[in-house]
Amino acid sequence: MKKAITMEVNGASCEVEVEPWRTLLDVVREELDLTGAKLGCDIQVCGACTLLVDGKPVSACSVLAVDADGRKVTTVEGLADGDRLHPLQESFMKFGALQCGYCTSGFLLTAKAMLDENPHPDDEQIKSYMGGSFCRCGCYQEIMQAIRGVAQG
Amino acid sequence: MKHFDYLEPGTVDEACGLLKQYNGNARVFAGGSSLTILLKQGFLQPDALINIKKIDELRRIEESGDDLVIGALVTHHDIETSSLLAERLPVLCELEHDVANIRVRNMATVGGNIASGEPLTDLPCVFITLDATVRIANTSGGRTLPLEDVFLDYYETQLGEDEVLTHVVIPALPARSAIDYVRFSSSSVVDKPCIGVAVRMSVEPDGGACREVRIGLGCVAPTPMRARNAEAALEGQPLNDENLQKAARAAAEECDPMDDLRGSERYKREMVAALVRRLASRVYEQARDHGNS
Repeated sequence: MKKAITMEVNGASCEVEVEPWRTLLDVVREELDLTGAKLGCDIQVCGACTLLVDGKPVSACSVLAVDADGRKVTTVEGLADGDRLHPLQESFMKFGALQCGYCTSGFLLTAKAMLDENPHPDDEQIKSYMGGSFCRCGCYQEIMQAIRGVAQG
Repeated sequence: MKHFDYLEPGTVDEACGLLKQYNGNARVFAGGSSLTILLKQGFLQPDALINIKKIDELRRIEESGDDLVIGALVTHHDIETSSLLAERLPVLCELEHDVANIRVRNMATVGGNIASGEPLTDLPCVFITLDATVRIANTSGGRTLPLEDVFLDYYETQLGEDEVLTHVVIPALPARSAIDYVRFSSSSVVDKPCIGVAVRMSVEPDGGACREVRIGLGCVAPTPMRARNAEAALEGQPLNDENLQKAARAAAEECDPMDDLRGSERYKREMVAALVRRLASRVYEQARDHGNS
C-alpha cells in the first residue's frame, strides 16, 4: 500500500514510494541517506529531528512522509553551497557551539528559518524562537554567541 | 505504527462521507502534531487517516460581517502572525508566542487543538470567553455548537464519527470591553501550561459597572470551563476589592484541578484565585480606560 510522493529535497526533485505510516524523518534518513537530522524525544519537544518544510521548522519525527508530498524539504546537508559552508555553520565552528553534535543540525536549521523570517533578531527574539531546541551538552552560551554573530554581525 | 489507509479528500463533504464509510474507525488528520504521537505510542489504532489538508477553504482567517472566522486548518503560527487578528484580537497573537515551540506552532492547527480534547491548552480557554461557536460538518447537514459545549471530558469531545470541525466563529466584542489572558507555567516555558485564565468584560460609562463578564479557566478541570460563580460575583457591580476577592475565591472553588507534576490541587486553586484577581483588575482598567468603542 505504498504511495508515490514527490518532494524537492535540498533543491533537487526526488520521488519515493512510502507507506503512509512512515515518518518524514525515517524516510529522509533511511531512503535518502540524509542522516544529519536525529531522532531524539520522538514527541516534538527536543528539536533534534528538525527539518524545514517549505522553509518552516517542523519536527520530522512527527510528520508523516506522505504529508510532505509536493513540499520543499531542507535538511542540514542542504545548508552549504557546494564547499562553502553556510554562515551559521561557520559561526557554530568559530564559537565552538557544539560538543556531541546530536542537536546541531536542528539548531542550524531552526536558526536559518528564524533569520530568513527576521534577519536581525535581538537576544530576546533569538531566545524565544530557539527556546524549543534542546542541547544536552549545555552549549547554550556558545550557540547564542554563534547565532548572534550572524544575526548581528 | 499500526498500518492504516491514507486518504486525501478535496472537500468537506467527501471527508465526512469517508469518515462514515469507516464506521468510527477513521480519524481526521490535520496538523497531526498530537495525532502522530498517539499513533506512534499505539494509543490510537485507526483503520484510516482522512487528511483534510487539501481542503483549502479550511485555511481562512477572515471577517464575515461582524464575526471573525478561523478555519480548522489555521496553524498556531498563522494566528501568531495574522495581521487581521493583530488588529481585531491581539490577545490571540500574543498568547501564541508562548505555545509549545516554533515547530509545533508551524504544524498544529486550531481544529486539532479543539478536536483533540487536550485539556492542557490555551486557545479554547480564550475562545469560550469570546462566546465563540464552532461549525461542524457531517453527512446530515452539519451543526453549530457553542465552543464550550464541544468538550465532554479529558480528551473527549462531542464530535461524532462522521464529523469534521470546520471553523470557529467569534462574534464582535461589545462596546467598551477588553479581554486578556494569562498563561501560567510552573516549569519550563516550553512546557504545557499549568493554568490558563482569560477574562473579558465591558464597563458601563456611568457608574463603572462590569457587564458581560466572562472568566475562562484552562487546565484546571477535565475541560476548559467558564467560572460562572466568579462571573456572577462581578456582573453588574463596579469593581472593588471585596467583589474581586469574592470572584477569585469562587473561581478557585468551582474549578476542578488535578494533582500532577505541574502542581498540587491546592497550589493550583490558590494560583487560580491569584490570577483571576490580578487579571480581572487589569481587564477592568483596560475596558474602562481604553475599551473598544
